[in-house]
Amino acid sequence: MQGFPVGLAMAEAVLSFRSVQHRHAVPAPRLTKPWAKREGPGVVGVSLDLHEGAVLGLIGPNGAGKTTLLRLMAGILPVQSGEIKSRFDGETWTDAGDLRTFVGHMPEQVRWQGRSTVVDALTQLGDMRGTSTKTIERLLALVGLRSRRDEPLDNLSQGMRQRLSIAAALLGSPKVLLLDEPFNGLDPVAAQAFAALVRTLASKGVSVVISSHMVAQLEGLIDRIALLHRGQLLDEGPLGEVEQRLGLSGRYAITGSGEVDPKTLVDEKSILAFEQREHDWILTVDGPSAEVLKAADDSGVALTSWAPVRPNLVEWLCAATGMSVDDISLEVASSALLPMQSMEVRGDE
Amino acid sequence: MSDLQRILNVASRIRRERLAGIRLKIMMPILLLFLPGMAWGFSDPNIVLPGGHRPDTAMEVLFYASLGVVFGATMCAVLMAFDGVSKDRASGMLEVRLAQPMPRRHQATALILGHAQSILLPVYALLAVAVVLVRLRMGEWPTAGELLVYSASTGLIVLWYTLFALLASTSAREQGTAIAFGIGVWFFFTFLWALVTTMVAYASGVAVGEANDPAWVALEGLLDLLSPNGVYHHLLETQLPTVDRGVAAWQSWLAALLWTIVPWWALHRRMERLVP
Repeated sequence: MQGFPVGLAMAEAVLSFRSVQHRHAVPAPRLTKPWAKREGPGVVGVSLDLHEGAVLGLIGPNGAGKTTLLRLMAGILPVQSGEIKSRFDGETWTDAGDLRTFVGHMPEQVRWQGRSTVVDALTQLGDMRGTSTKTIERLLALVGLRSRRDEPLDNLSQGMRQRLSIAAALLGSPKVLLLDEPFNGLDPVAAQAFAALVRTLASKGVSVVISSHMVAQLEGLIDRIALLHRGQLLDEGPLGEVEQRLGLSGRYAITGSGEVDPKTLVDEKSILAFEQREHDWILTVDGPSAEVLKAADDSGVALTSWAPVRPNLVEWLCAATGMSVDDISLEVASSALLPMQSMEVRGDE
Repeated sequence: MSDLQRILNVASRIRRERLAGIRLKIMMPILLLFLPGMAWGFSDPNIVLPGGHRPDTAMEVLFYASLGVVFGATMCAVLMAFDGVSKDRASGMLEVRLAQPMPRRHQATALILGHAQSILLPVYALLAVAVVLVRLRMGEWPTAGELLVYSASTGLIVLWYTLFALLASTSAREQGTAIAFGIGVWFFFTFLWALVTTMVAYASGVAVGEANDPAWVALEGLLDLLSPNGVYHHLLETQLPTVDRGVAAWQSWLAALLWTIVPWWALHRRMERLVP
């Protein structure tokens, strides 16, 4: 995973969310009022800035509120409280207005189907924005679907459908692009091509938000990270800074051949994991990797690799919440069953 | 591009997609049987209807043939529109559409127009055939005024059932529920409304089914204003001077306006609050 690019370090925030909230109305029937609803899960008090040309990874377990937050950012769900401001002109912050005019949204798993062709499907959406045919053709080329423009949707592979989804999200030449679990269902080759496309868009100044519950999928792609859990933003910022803030930086995986006692290489407290295999071993340490290198050199232990280790989702959550792995796992598993503070609401859905 | 142009473009795409679909091809025999078929039957010079009645004008024949619209065209409208929203919701396309900067009210209008047009075009084409058949068999054309009212009324009843189906489609998360609701409403107004009328008449102390009893005729006429099919027949009856069920033409048109505005407004409201 790469750090915050120097060129983007000074990238300005272009869209700012302050204490935004949207909680879904869930049925809570009573004998006297069978249609009653109460506020259920959603996102609460989220404050987040999106930066020009930066890729933000929105990380959280299932049910954390990632999709809700993205829909809120896309202008699909109304903001129940809080404010959203933008400053694309680089000058003053103003009320963002209709987000849909400058935000492109790619929902999770759109099932493009039917006998319509690729170009027809895009044109239909383009009609809703007033997008020109020329722009649609350009987008098809950008996402690598030009040769498939007349293909019926039913004939597209999952990877091509994802490309079509991103083309649909780019219809209005958005300044902010939201991608909800874009790697779901993609094979490694398609995922790599998709990631390259995202980096290209970011290099053109588009602010990209990618949600995922699989941190590993975002390796090398994101510049900033936002941790979401139970509808609340736990931490947000440049990747390296957040790692450092949560004490997750400075972890290394060291491998070597033969057999070794890890305690001879590093202080026991620094050992996070050790696995001795038949012909080699893997040692994960927190912090003093130079110490290991020196100790290995001194004792003649042969090292084969040495690489920084990124924390996984559970480790991020443990660090951000201060909970143990067991507690966080239980929390994630039961989050759907734990209602947040509830009150009666008006609402249709 | 103006808002209106945008709405018409989206509606046009929905219409074209529906017209090219297999569903319409399946429904065409039903429409053929019910629209030109009924006009053919009722324009038979030797036909004698129950009560010894014989239709003797083109408009009267079209009025009887309108049963085909009530039975066939309305059901086809429901079948055409029941998945107008629920299908997109299930596939994730609804979220893509709602993310476009086209106001949801405009999207709702495009949905209504697109789906209503997709069933109205074949219905109008077949009604034109029906009118020609009546002319061939009876040697008489309906007047321009009669044709205008017949077309407008048919357009309205198809629109109403399209609106009911789309409303169901926005509420139901499953397509099965949406079609059950749409067909349920169609069944209720087409087959069960007579039962409702009978029950109300019984409760009101009016003799049931006495065709010559003015109280029964008035009550039936009044209750028909509460049913889209009844309003449709009231509108057609404005062109039949021999029929008087105690409902003035303006009352029929007012009821038609309400049957249009209320579900249209309800659908717009649903779309405003819709969550993908």
